[in-house]
Amino acid sequence: MLRLALLLAALAALAGLAGPAGGADEAALLTLRQAQVLSVPAPTLAPPDGGHYTPQALPDDWTGPSGPGEQVRWYRFDFDPPPVPAATLLAVYLPRVCSNLEVHLNGQLLYRGGRLREPVTRNCYRSQLIALPAGLLSASGNRLDIQVVGFALPRVSGRQRAGGLSEVIVGPHALLADRHERQVFWNVTLAQIIAATLVMVGVVMLALAWVRRAGYLFYFGVVAVGWALLSSRVWWRDIPLAHGTLELLSCIAFVPLSVCALLFLLRYCGVTSRRLDLALWSQCLLLPALLLALGPERLFTGAAICYSLLALEVFVTIGYFLAHAWRTRREEFWLLGSILGLVAVVVAIEVGIQDRVFDLPQVHVMHFAIPVLFCALAFRLVQTFAQALTTAEAARQQLEQRVHEISAEIERNFSHLAEVRVEQVAEKERKRIAADLHDDLGAKLLTIVHTSTDERISTLARDALEEMRLSVRGIAGKPVQLADALADWRAETVSRLGDAGIEIEWQSSEPATPRTLAARSYVQTTRVLREATSNLIKHSGASRAVVQVKVDEEFQLVIRDNGRGIPLELDGRLDRGHGMASMKQRAKQMQGQCLVESGPGYGTVIRLTLPL
Amino acid sequence: MTHILLLEDLPEIRVWLKALALQVFPQAQITEAARVHDAREQISAQRFDLALVDLGLPDGSGVEVVAALREAQPEAQSVVVTIHDDDDHLFPALQAGAFGYLLKEQSREQLAEQLKRISQGEPPLSPSIARRVIQYFAAQQRSQFREKTPLMPGVTLTERENEVLLRVAKGYTLPEIGVQLNLSRHTIADYVKQIYRKLNVSSRAEVALEAQRLGLFRR
Repeated sequence: MLRLALLLAALAALAGLAGPAGGADEAALLTLRQAQVLSVPAPTLAPPDGGHYTPQALPDDWTGPSGPGEQVRWYRFDFDPPPVPAATLLAVYLPRVCSNLEVHLNGQLLYRGGRLREPVTRNCYRSQLIALPAGLLSASGNRLDIQVVGFALPRVSGRQRAGGLSEVIVGPHALLADRHERQVFWNVTLAQIIAATLVMVGVVMLALAWVRRAGYLFYFGVVAVGWALLSSRVWWRDIPLAHGTLELLSCIAFVPLSVCALLFLLRYCGVTSRRLDLALWSQCLLLPALLLALGPERLFTGAAICYSLLALEVFVTIGYFLAHAWRTRREEFWLLGSILGLVAVVVAIEVGIQDRVFDLPQVHVMHFAIPVLFCALAFRLVQTFAQALTTAEAARQQLEQRVHEISAEIERNFSHLAEVRVEQVAEKERKRIAADLHDDLGAKLLTIVHTSTDERISTLARDALEEMRLSVRGIAGKPVQLADALADWRAETVSRLGDAGIEIEWQSSEPATPRTLAARSYVQTTRVLREATSNLIKHSGASRAVVQVKVDEEFQLVIRDNGRGIPLELDGRLDRGHGMASMKQRAKQMQGQCLVESGPGYGTVIRLTLPL
Repeated sequence: MTHILLLEDLPEIRVWLKALALQVFPQAQITEAARVHDAREQISAQRFDLALVDLGLPDGSGVEVVAALREAQPEAQSVVVTIHDDDDHLFPALQAGAFGYLLKEQSREQLAEQLKRISQGEPPLSPSIARRVIQYFAAQQRSQFREKTPLMPGVTLTERENEVLLRVAKGYTLPEIGVQLNLSRHTIADYVKQIYRKLNVSSRAEVALEAQRLGLFRR
């Protein structure tokens, strides 16, 4: 929106600059609007004397039919210099003369604008300023003769290039130079600057189109470059081509240029239709054929038809384009709408000028307005492109980020797998060691158990075997479910005591939530319980035993019997047959404790407490 | 006359086991073997009523012999005699068709008592073995449910068998379970025998199915 406002302001400023200067010094200017005119068949070296001059109002536009070749007219003015301070350099200023001129003052050749014969120098777009040497001027009764060589309107393809002469202004050189420079700047210099800009923009667009394979950018580039080339006739005065050929070619060149502009708009909307393309391109044959059929003497009529038709197509396409933008790209609508709206207005004005609805202006809006709008459009296209690029880069960065994350995850997974693998290897190794122990040590101990004749040695060997097995289980083992451990202990204890004929009561509360016991704790507790059970069977003489298991913050195992307890005399060598010390030792290893309460006649209570 | 196959690689232990077997079955005729290979030959050569099989042998595992005997002489009883009391070692042997196990380090009296019980149809069943059996049948049922194959007849446990297994797994002894369920010692023993049998049948069926699936079934 801001950009749009700036654009409009810039155009308004340009329009203001282009306007006529203030009238403070108007009094010093002599404007000649009446001339004596004489047509001659070919350029002459001097004003023909004695010819039949006829009066003619200025500006004189050569609209009537004419024969082939250039036309030549002599304009004659008789004037008194305007009242100016002495020593002021006077000049004659011609806002428009087409195509070329020659100026004589009081019979002396003063100025020639270039070639007067084919190819005639084309000065149609620039004003002329000719200084009047003071030595040639008289105080009154000066005669100014201007020979104009040009081509009548029917033989040109643009009204700007039809032969003619505007009013003639005589005044102080400084004052008129200002006007002249402004006119030349707006009509010629600016056209050159813009043409150069347009060529650059067009080349950039073509390069982008080539890189991106974007059709609409290609058409836009072609239009920009084509327009710049076509506008060269504004500042290139001596194109080495005959007048008729050049006029025909410049009209014909407009056709593919317009087609490209239309295709740009259509492609930008995403319209791709072979038939439509074919229809549009076929105009490149049909319209030149029309121009040729009409012949050089009706070139202007043909050109007007071509321009009107192409302008109509441009209007329709812009309408379609804006409708499409309104539907799909609302945010772009206002910008594109205003740019294309201005294009449409400028084109309409130009067609109006060609069709003589409007007078021929001194400044040719078409030549700078359209390129400026082109540049605005190009800016928008590049911006869109840059936005797309930014989006793509952001997406790429996101992708990279994602890839990075995923590879980090893969690495994590890999190291996790490696850990698992290490664990598996360790587990396998443990199993191997366990198997070796069983097979070697186990077999030997077993042999002792079953072959020794000494009961004591046999028992020791059995204990050692059991010890070894539990140890192996401890190093190889995984944590045991507490419920499973309780079941194993119960089954073993109840079975052994039952076989020994001791009544047993097992009291255990199942833990509410599944809990586990470290393999080592399981093994040690099993040993303590086994030891206690053995003692109970061998030494206590009890008839009844109670085992209580409590699981809360800690694990508590209580084994109580109604036996004789540990007799005093046995107390001194308590450890020999009872293994109380080893029980305590084991409890300590598990950061727990094992208490033995016993008295003769009171039975024995063993309490094992372990942290969980 | 009882024919006993004794498979044990350590000579001293073998001597001692032979004495144990003769103590329980004084009339028995005992064939000794020290390797899996020898045992297989003996199995194809003559009939046995009972086999005492060690698990860890120089040329293989006793489980193979258990399976071979179950295959060749289904009426023969295999008893695993081992130093390994954990279910990881025992369970495969039970699946292969062993009808009980003896732990070698037990005293001669205990072993004699247990062997007698096994031969009378009262195999032992520890809580950890019971848990494994429960897990095994649960997994079987799940996979059959998943693959929508009909339940194999004779290999699902009855409610009573399940009940007994669950109680054993919780640490109750077989006599205790008999009291709890108001059943005789023999009935409980029958349930345990059924469980062993179904475990074997189901495992064999599973192996056959697996072989069929892999296209290895050659009969």
